[in-house]
Amino acid sequence: MSLETTVPAAPSQQPPKLPPLKALVSRLAGNPLGGVIAALVIIFGASCALSPHFLTTFNMMIIARALAFIGLVTIGQSVLMILGELDLSVGAIGGLAGVVGGILMVQLGLNPWLSLVLCLLMGAGCGLLNGALITQLRLHSLVLTIGMAGVYGGANLVATKGVAITGVPRDITFLGRGLVMGVPVPFVVLLVCLAIVAFVMLRTPVGRYIYAIGSNPDAARMLGIRVNAIRMGAFALAGFLSALAGILMVARLGTAQPSIGDTWVLGPIAAAVIGGVATTGGIGSPIGAVLGAVIIGIIEDIIVLFGISPYWQSVVSGGIVVLAISFDALARRYLNRDAV
Amino acid sequence: MKTAFAFAAMLTAAPFLAPLAAGQAQAADTGAPLRFVLIPKTVHPWFDKANNGAQAAAAMITQTTGRKVEIEYRAPQTADVSSQNDIIERAIATHPDGLILDLLDEKGNRATMDEAVDEKIPMTVFDSLPPEGMDITAVGADFCEQGTMAAERLANLVGRKGEVAIMMGVPTAPNHTLRAECEKKVFAKYPDMKVVATGVDNDSIETAQKQASAIMQAHPDLVGWVECDASGPVGVGQAIRESGKTGKVKEVGLDNLNDMIQLIKEGVAESSASSRPEMQGYWAVVSAWQRAMGQKTPKYIDTGIDLLTAKSL
Repeated sequence: MSLETTVPAAPSQQPPKLPPLKALVSRLAGNPLGGVIAALVIIFGASCALSPHFLTTFNMMIIARALAFIGLVTIGQSVLMILGELDLSVGAIGGLAGVVGGILMVQLGLNPWLSLVLCLLMGAGCGLLNGALITQLRLHSLVLTIGMAGVYGGANLVATKGVAITGVPRDITFLGRGLVMGVPVPFVVLLVCLAIVAFVMLRTPVGRYIYAIGSNPDAARMLGIRVNAIRMGAFALAGFLSALAGILMVARLGTAQPSIGDTWVLGPIAAAVIGGVATTGGIGSPIGAVLGAVIIGIIEDIIVLFGISPYWQSVVSGGIVVLAISFDALARRYLNRDAV
Repeated sequence: MKTAFAFAAMLTAAPFLAPLAAGQAQAADTGAPLRFVLIPKTVHPWFDKANNGAQAAAAMITQTTGRKVEIEYRAPQTADVSSQNDIIERAIATHPDGLILDLLDEKGNRATMDEAVDEKIPMTVFDSLPPEGMDITAVGADFCEQGTMAAERLANLVGRKGEVAIMMGVPTAPNHTLRAECEKKVFAKYPDMKVVATGVDNDSIETAQKQASAIMQAHPDLVGWVECDASGPVGVGQAIRESGKTGKVKEVGLDNLNDMIQLIKEGVAESSASSRPEMQGYWAVVSAWQRAMGQKTPKYIDTGIDLLTAKSL
């Protein structure tokens, strides 16, 4: 063994060792999700400190289950936003898939699992239709999907006459109410979907194409990327995930409610923005968007746990969301300052 | 990104590793304040009136027994079953001494109510019916009777002939659809009466006003209106007044919102079939209190329906 190999390097060549807390802050600051993670930690910690009912197994299960439905829609919406698109019909697609599932299972007596598959295909088909109309007719996704939300929502009312379909088979209610090793099944479904979509977005060429299209669609087209095919595929994915959320909600409620999905339009967009997804496209990730949905879910939870007046709820939840976004922006500015 | 994955994994695992909720002491037998959580269908003035009745009952019990009774009012922002279930579940997490619920759909709320049963939290429902097989007191009025009363009143006002219209509330709300069905049945009894239009206001005064104006334009021979929710009659009344058809187009409204009462006083609406929200809130709390004390309570408490007219006001 030579002398050189045993001599430690000069102190000036090693990065300075930071205290653990500073090291964590530094690592968070270097991560694109650092701001949203820090905001989440603060909100989570404050909730634990302020309410004895927050950090209980029962309450965590409530948050996890509620997150699952909005989280699935958020994944699809975040992919579209990274592409530079928006789909305002995702809630209506989820609701339509739910009632079609109810009709197939209850009124037509079809096998529940087959019904589930058909509903998912229908959801993907609705999304694909949106994508096809947007790409082939060169329509703005925001405007087109407002119209399609009316079409899908109207079809929902035509099919149900506004009345819930009851008698959903017990075979399928496990998907909404069951637990896997103490974890709600819908939450497990969310994690699986998130893992798959995050892998595709961050580790495959398709994911890189999506970021490229979101950053500059013309440049992406010149590079030979099949822009329209990928856009249609992303809309189909958003429709598929919305339908999955809708059918899981039917399994959870045990009835196919025509109102399913009514609240799934703005929440996922807000969650994605909180999670660092740029509305202009090209920036963000589904993981960040779901973390944004976790923040919203915790805020909705603590508002009820603290017994805040229903008339103040929107003010409080909106205020916390603004604080979370501001915190994220400040963290980014801090990061940029250090980089300079 | 690794940090993000690690944090996501930590967040996922933490709740399930967290210690089980320490047994939350039930206040029922300790002399501590009794805490009831009142969860209506949504944020709406009708439910504020029910809450006023609930607060009055809490004050009465506190004064009479010397034991403090608290009512926590937690309303969903939208009339959506899953949103209401979320609120109910979060209320269960706080282990109150009772839940007082106005169910959006007893079948859709069933799974969440089962969780309350598992947690041994007594429940009382008002303005709605409990799921089948659940031993729960229901406080309220008969929705069909309310719709029938309004429709019969209008039929008599217009001499049982002519074109009439119905303003639906929220098409997915069972109590609204039930009222509409019963109103249609009344009009179907009279061969000279015809329902020429059905509007949908989604429990919004503004929407009801717009729809009613359009319907009256399209049907100039319209002689009367009935509605299915609390917002509809206010919007319809405003449309009647704006179109200068006060007295020519009759209206029999529902419930007793302040705007509705004003319309009756002004002569725009002839009357209103009101389901006494304050009384429903009051007796729901009395029932919940008795349940918390371990007493058996009636299956159904009928709070009745008032017919509000200019004379009775």
